[in-house]
Amino acid sequence: MPPWSDFEPFIVSGLALGGVYALSGVGLVVLYRATGVLYLAFGAVGAMGALIAWSLMQAGAPGWLSWLVCVAFAAAVTLGYGVVFGPALAARGPLIKAVATIGLTLILYGAMDLLWTTSGGEARSITLPTDNGGFSIGQIQVNWTQVIALAAGVVITAATGAFLRYTKLGTAMRAMANDREITATLGVPVRRVEAAAWLGCGVLAGVAGLLLADLVALDATTLTFLVISSLAAVLIARLRSIALAFAAAIAVGLLHDLLTPITSLTNYRDMTPFVIAAVGLLVLSRHQVLAQSREES
Amino acid sequence: MSRGIFAPSARTMVVLAAAALAVGTGAAGCSSSSSSSSSSSTSASTPPPSASSASSAPATVSTSSCGTNPGVAATGTPIALGAIATNQPGTSFTDIPNMAAAYFACVNANGGINGHPIKLYIETEQTNPAQIAADAKQLVDTDHVVGIVGNTSIIECSVDSSYWQKLGFYIIDSGIAPECYGTPNSAAVNMGPRYSSDGAVQYALSQHVSKIVFDQSNVPGTGYIAAGPSALAAAAGVPIVQLTENVPISDADSVAIKEVDDAGPNGAVVLNFTPPEALIILQAAQKLGLEDHVKLWGCSTPCNTDFLATSLGPKWNNKLFVNAELLPPDVTNTPTMNLYEAILKQYGSAVSGGIGSFSQMGFTEAEIAVHALESVTGAYTVASVNAAFKAVSNFSTGMLCQLWSYGSSPTHIPNNEDSTVTPDNGKMVTAQGCTLISAVDPQIAAYRSAAGTAALEPAS
Repeated sequence: MPPWSDFEPFIVSGLALGGVYALSGVGLVVLYRATGVLYLAFGAVGAMGALIAWSLMQAGAPGWLSWLVCVAFAAAVTLGYGVVFGPALAARGPLIKAVATIGLTLILYGAMDLLWTTSGGEARSITLPTDNGGFSIGQIQVNWTQVIALAAGVVITAATGAFLRYTKLGTAMRAMANDREITATLGVPVRRVEAAAWLGCGVLAGVAGLLLADLVALDATTLTFLVISSLAAVLIARLRSIALAFAAAIAVGLLHDLLTPITSLTNYRDMTPFVIAAVGLLVLSRHQVLAQSREES
Repeated sequence: MSRGIFAPSARTMVVLAAAALAVGTGAAGCSSSSSSSSSSSTSASTPPPSASSASSAPATVSTSSCGTNPGVAATGTPIALGAIATNQPGTSFTDIPNMAAAYFACVNANGGINGHPIKLYIETEQTNPAQIAADAKQLVDTDHVVGIVGNTSIIECSVDSSYWQKLGFYIIDSGIAPECYGTPNSAAVNMGPRYSSDGAVQYALSQHVSKIVFDQSNVPGTGYIAAGPSALAAAAGVPIVQLTENVPISDADSVAIKEVDDAGPNGAVVLNFTPPEALIILQAAQKLGLEDHVKLWGCSTPCNTDFLATSLGPKWNNKLFVNAELLPPDVTNTPTMNLYEAILKQYGSAVSGGIGSFSQMGFTEAEIAVHALESVTGAYTVASVNAAFKAVSNFSTGMLCQLWSYGSSPTHIPNNEDSTVTPDNGKMVTAQGCTLISAVDPQIAAYRSAAGTAALEPAS
């Protein structure tokens, strides 16, 4: 086992990675709580938005405009998907709703592979102005983008929790996710509320795509399937607790990176999210079963 | 017990987890086991000029010098050649056969081979052995190709080597798998990942680093590739740490920290990744302020792109040293290099990467094939064409540091002399001229022993 000093830099990088997972994970839980849909195209939508932003910047567009277009694209595609397919799939089970979003993922992924090819060895990157400033912890430089990503996770978690709990629209979203038909009979404008949820998720996907393109990589494959690792945190949160999803994401990121200096485990660290998810679900299920049997007895 | 209104049931959790796993499996499937393939071919007709954004041939260079009868289109019976290239999300080598096809189109528009146009059938594959074997059979049995030129695939050499040997084909390719270099019937124009990594490590050792950290993608063949750098470091008495990373990399920060920690302030980190993955690691190091925490960074040939130099920025000038298997086009002003750029501009509409190592390799393979085909007298058959390929000896391609030969040796590493480049404000420029790869690598030593000696450099 390496000395503790060898682990210290990985605490910083682990927190940053956890922040990355949290950004995607929180977005997934938000939409699930609002619409009952596990939106697996979250990563692909953000990735394509980021690639469009990159193309605009290459063409000389100002950075702020490119970032806005990235967020607008992700919001428009997500809203479009929700408006067109949401009502038709509303009565279907969660698995069918989730699988339908895989269709959108694959369409976007194919389009990205076609439009931003890597066959000639092309490598792309987005850097944000916040990359240039920051502070040092030990020998590691922490830049403002990393801080913003982590803070964004906290702010989004708190704000969304409050929104869903205290606002009329949030309450309507929660009610609709529980039973769309009954909510509609109570006079809630179902389609408008759903559209608002999809739009909000799309905006989150765009912001996450931009930040992740900077923090992780501007690469269609990486960004599209990063959502799979985030799902571990989402599953630990049982698709309902935004705060737990955030905490789980941070824990997954930290543990993942703390395994890096351990030579015998370093090549298996990418399994961390799934191992934690499996163990977490088993423990949670056991607690649930025990609680249930206590109630019955 | 009542569940919260948003608490999904255990069944829901299971099916959603299964859906998530299905996406992950699908992702893997996209990159490793799709059974679809596609094929294309170039014919004698001259394609319309393209607007390859990266190419800028001098206005005075005419492409007509690629053929023996300038301006006269070849109309004879086509000579069918074939190529197999990997083309899957994240990994595509189609620029190489596409550039070979561009060269052939130029030749066809300027007399062809004794009046015969060359038709190149290009099959693409997705790292599926059964599909690759079927592609080879299709080229032979359906397309009736008489030679294979432009193959570039992650595993094609491993899968088809014995098939080509049985049929008497002598392949001219860009190699990746060990069999592209270690068999009698495959000769590559590039050095491939092992010898290119040798070159990068050799440069680092020449700068007197105290330790080497060699990091590469966790894909089949890492042990074979790592053996070269290990041998070089051992001979120099410098410790080497071997690392592998799962790709795509999603935790570049921890990768960069580990590399730098392991190398130490007087050490070197040498990477063997595709350009996007290398860029992720290098940018993570830069954002963490780690680029100056080691003496130097090295990289095998894939990093030799202006895309990478542009994305990295000036902090990496004279800090990152990249092995270059081919002469740098930006600073090489020779008739061959000018012809390459002119052909790319006029015929290379399918070459998405423009100027770069991949298109240079395709050009060089086609150039060698045309040189060989021009020596064939009589019918263009499998026997005559492959005998001509095998007979190529000390050919000056204008793209390599040394003369290129095929010959009868049991292994083939005809390109074993390289240069080193470094970023310079968005461009890759030469840091060290042509240098022989050390024969400390036992494979290089075995090849030179079998081939006689290292090939000479072209006469200037």
